[in-house]
Amino acid sequence: MFTENIISKFTSVVSQFPERNAFCINETHYSYGDFWKLIGQIRSQICAQNLTQTKLGLVVNDDLHTYASIMAVWMEGMAYVPLHPKHPIERNLEIVDQANIETILDSNTDSAYSSTMVIKTAESNNFSVSDKVNQISDDSLAYILFTSGSTGKPKGVQISYKNIASFAEAFMKTGIQLDETDRCLQCFDLTFDVSVQSFLIPLIHGACVYTVPHDQIKYSYVFGLLDDHELTMAIFAPSMIRLLQPYFEEIDLKKLKYCILTAEASPVDLVKEWSECIPNSRIFNFYGPTEATIYCVYYEIKDINNMKEANGMLAIGEPFYGINALILDEELKPVKKGQKGEMYVSGNQVTAGYWENPEKNKESFAQLEYEGEKQTFYKTGDLCLEDNDGCILYYGRLDNQVKIQGYRIELGEIEFHAREIIGGKNAVSFIYNGAQNNSEIALCLEVSEFNEKEIIAALSEKLPNYMIPSKIFNLENFPLNTSDKVDKKAIKELFKKF
Amino acid sequence: MDKNNITDKLTSVFRTVFENEDLTLTDEMTANDVDNWDSLTHMILVTEIEKDFEVKFKLKDLNKMKNVGNLIEVLISKLN
Repeated sequence: MFTENIISKFTSVVSQFPERNAFCINETHYSYGDFWKLIGQIRSQICAQNLTQTKLGLVVNDDLHTYASIMAVWMEGMAYVPLHPKHPIERNLEIVDQANIETILDSNTDSAYSSTMVIKTAESNNFSVSDKVNQISDDSLAYILFTSGSTGKPKGVQISYKNIASFAEAFMKTGIQLDETDRCLQCFDLTFDVSVQSFLIPLIHGACVYTVPHDQIKYSYVFGLLDDHELTMAIFAPSMIRLLQPYFEEIDLKKLKYCILTAEASPVDLVKEWSECIPNSRIFNFYGPTEATIYCVYYEIKDINNMKEANGMLAIGEPFYGINALILDEELKPVKKGQKGEMYVSGNQVTAGYWENPEKNKESFAQLEYEGEKQTFYKTGDLCLEDNDGCILYYGRLDNQVKIQGYRIELGEIEFHAREIIGGKNAVSFIYNGAQNNSEIALCLEVSEFNEKEIIAALSEKLPNYMIPSKIFNLENFPLNTSDKVDKKAIKELFKKF
Repeated sequence: MDKNNITDKLTSVFRTVFENEDLTLTDEMTANDVDNWDSLTHMILVTEIEKDFEVKFKLKDLNKMKNVGNLIEVLISKLN
């Protein structure tokens, strides 16, 4: 499946369009011919090592060597484990250790890792170009991404070739059509799986991928790429669009055809304003945990004045082709349409499990009967509802649903009303341990100043007493994590200082 | 305001925003060279520069600021 859906498409692009640009990295363009040659050299370099392992660490710099390394690893039927050069070395070494990595591909000439482990891809030009096409086993691993684990140790999500090939097939059925004339944004860290969609889908269509250098400020650089290079497809986290919001009046991106919002919930008011900056673009909201390979549920906005939403957050819509999505109660029984429950997903995109982590696997997956057969479902931890049209609405993380004084409340609802009160700016609500060691609600507003009495009065008009926060504080700007999402953990930490 | 005056004034804004009294600006300096210089602190930095220099940046101006040298050039063109 991977050989046909990905490798064959890519090699045919290379032979059809060797002169066309595959990448624009730090204002330099690289053709498919250049890219192919480098991939072939890195393949020879890897093969020369006679490795027994099929997993390689990869230092993910923003350069052609790094992208060529990914394709080289895949064309050899191996897997990569991304190591971010800006993440603490201790964390990266913990990943190297957990994944039993013995070899690391690094384009830096001055590698942070032990020289006995490192293949310096910058020296690949001493190698011949390998261009044979191997048949790749779909069950082999393609990458392992480590995400933060609640125990403090990162946990590895293993994604197979079958997972990626199934994703690519389903992605192209959402109505997005690309060809060799397209120019696509890749603004995500390679340690985050949306990056794989952002470079791989363009590459199998002969389009050009525009990346963001690590030393640049992302939101202004991204705007520069969109504007100067007239990009036609862009994938963003809504938090990044929020950073551009003060400048919306200046933004007019007529060439943009596809805008994908992902990585976190999309506020409808922000999306509506943003849509005026991209008058000719179709807008999609893509949902998906890393465990189900990039995205698995999506919603396309057909009418900007009539978006489906829940608590001010855009709907996530319908499952991808090949994905089964169930909304279940605590006893794993399907809830009725119109009722909330936890979403479970199954299908060829779902991971075989966390890397060497049987406990976590037991916790996060369930064998459920579906259409007469047993299937492995991933427990998303997300609170969702399917409406009468079959459209899935997103109500936030399940652990955002808490009991206060015996009442079940959703923090998303408090955040929704708070955002309305502060004119569409962002708000985050969470639970903290109060003086009597009871659960109380805190609310953080992304504003420079606020009047607590007024906020409480306005919230009291919308919410019952037990949902009114007992502590309200503000941050001029919310911290973001490396995936461009609002960093709730960091906000909770800052709260302790208030 | 000449380049030296701008650099002096800018240095004090950088030192306040990044809470580092030893910070010395160079033309080639980028976000990679300063701890905590990311999208968020950049927004704060921009707001503080706008306040102190009494200028208003457009998004196109921000996009030109690939390093501190570019930032100073943008400021010179705004102020003169």
